[in-house]
Amino acid sequence: MSEQTRRTRVSAAGLYVPLLLGAVVTVTLGVYGSVHTPTGIAVNVAGFSGPQTVKVWLATGAALLALVQLVSAFAMWGKFGSRVPSWIGPLHRWSGRFAFLLTVPVAVHCLYALGFATYDTRTLAHSLLGCFFFGAFTVKMLSLPKRGLPGWTLPLLGGAVFTALIGLWLTSSFWYFTTIGVRF
Amino acid sequence: MKRNGPLLTLLAGLALAAVLITVNLTVTARGGDDPDPVGFGAAPATSAPAAAAPSASPSAEASPTAAPAAKVNAIWAGTVNGGGATIAISVTDGVAVAYLCDGKKAEVWLQGTAADGKLSLTGKNGATLVGTFGGGKATGTVTASGRKWTFTVKAVAKPSGLYRATATVRNAKVVGGWIVLPDGSQVGVVTVDDVPRPAPAIDPATGAVTVDGAALTAEPVTGALTAN
Repeated sequence: MSEQTRRTRVSAAGLYVPLLLGAVVTVTLGVYGSVHTPTGIAVNVAGFSGPQTVKVWLATGAALLALVQLVSAFAMWGKFGSRVPSWIGPLHRWSGRFAFLLTVPVAVHCLYALGFATYDTRTLAHSLLGCFFFGAFTVKMLSLPKRGLPGWTLPLLGGAVFTALIGLWLTSSFWYFTTIGVRF
Repeated sequence: MKRNGPLLTLLAGLALAAVLITVNLTVTARGGDDPDPVGFGAAPATSAPAAAAPSASPSAEASPTAAPAAKVNAIWAGTVNGGGATIAISVTDGVAVAYLCDGKKAEVWLQGTAADGKLSLTGKNGATLVGTFGGGKATGTVTASGRKWTFTVKAVAKPSGLYRATATVRNAKVVGGWIVLPDGSQVGVVTVDDVPRPAPAIDPATGAVTVDGAALTAEPVTGALTAN
C-alpha cells in the first residue's frame, strides 16, 4: 500500500491495517462460533480414538512448537549472545508455520462442532483466547513485512500470540490430560 | 518471496480451514433433501468414532459403501423446559436411546428410532418420546407415568452424553443412568432392585463408579439397550 512513505521514519501507523484486519478475524470467529449451531460432530482424523484426542494432540504439538518459537525468538534478538546462528531465522519461521497449521484443524473443529461456549470459566477463557489467537497471529503476519515499525512491535505481537496459544493449550489439552487422562 | 512469506502462511492456513470446512459440510450434510445446511446424517465411517465407544458396540460396524448416508449418529443432552429434569438422547446408526431423570428418584429409559428428522421412542409402562431433530438440536415431549416434559436440547460431544451401568451386586439388580452435560455436571439415578436413588458421580473418563461398595463401569450408550 503506502509502505514507501513510512520506510524512512519509525511510526506505529503501519500497524493500523494489520490491527484492523486482525480485529476483523477475531470478531468474525467469535460471531461465527456464536451464531453457527454446533453440530456436535465433525470429521475425525484416522489413528485417534476420537475428535477430542486429535485436537488435544494437535494443540500439544502446536504448544511445543510455540516453545521453539519463544526460544528461537530470544536467540534472534540476541538474548543468548550476539552471535546468532544462521539457521535460527528459518527455524523460527518454519516452526511458526507448522504451529499455525496445527492449530487450524483444531479451530475448525472447535468452531464447527462446539461453537463459542460460555459454560464455565475454562470454556469462556478458551473461546475468547481462541478468537484472539487467530486475530493476533494475523496482525503478526501482516506486520512482519512492514518496515519502519517501532522496535517493540514484533516482540509484543509475538508475545501476545505465544501467550494466547499457551493459554489455549492450558484450557484445553492440559485440562484434558489432567481431567480425562493422557489418551491417544 | 521472503516478504510474502507471512502472507503465504496466512493464506495456507485459510486454505486448510476452507478444505476442512468443506469436508465437514460434505460429510455431515444429509444428502440433498435436508433443509438444514448442517444435518445430522453423517456418513457412518467418519462420524462413528464421535458417537460410538471403541469397545463392544452392539451394532455391527457399518461399511461406508453399504450404509445409506441417512443413518443418524448424534447425542443431545440438556435440561427439560422449566428445569426439574435432565434428558439425554443418544443415537447410533438410527437407533435412539433416551434417558430422562431428575437426579433424585424419577427416571425413565426409552428406546426407538431417529430418522428423517423425527424421534420416536417408547419405554416401560407406556412411556413415550416424540420429537424432531435437526440443526444441532432435538425438540420433543416425553410422557411417562402420567407426567409430561417438553425439551429442546443441544447436540453435545464426548465426554458429555449418556452413560449406563447394569450389574448384579449381592443378588440385587443394579441399573444406573448418568447424563454428563457439557459443563461437566452430572445427573444420574441408580436403581437397586427397582428402588431408585441419586447416583454417585461417575468418572467421565473411565465410567468408573462405586455403588454399594461394588465397583461398576458405566458405558456410553451406543445402540440398543441390553439388560434392563
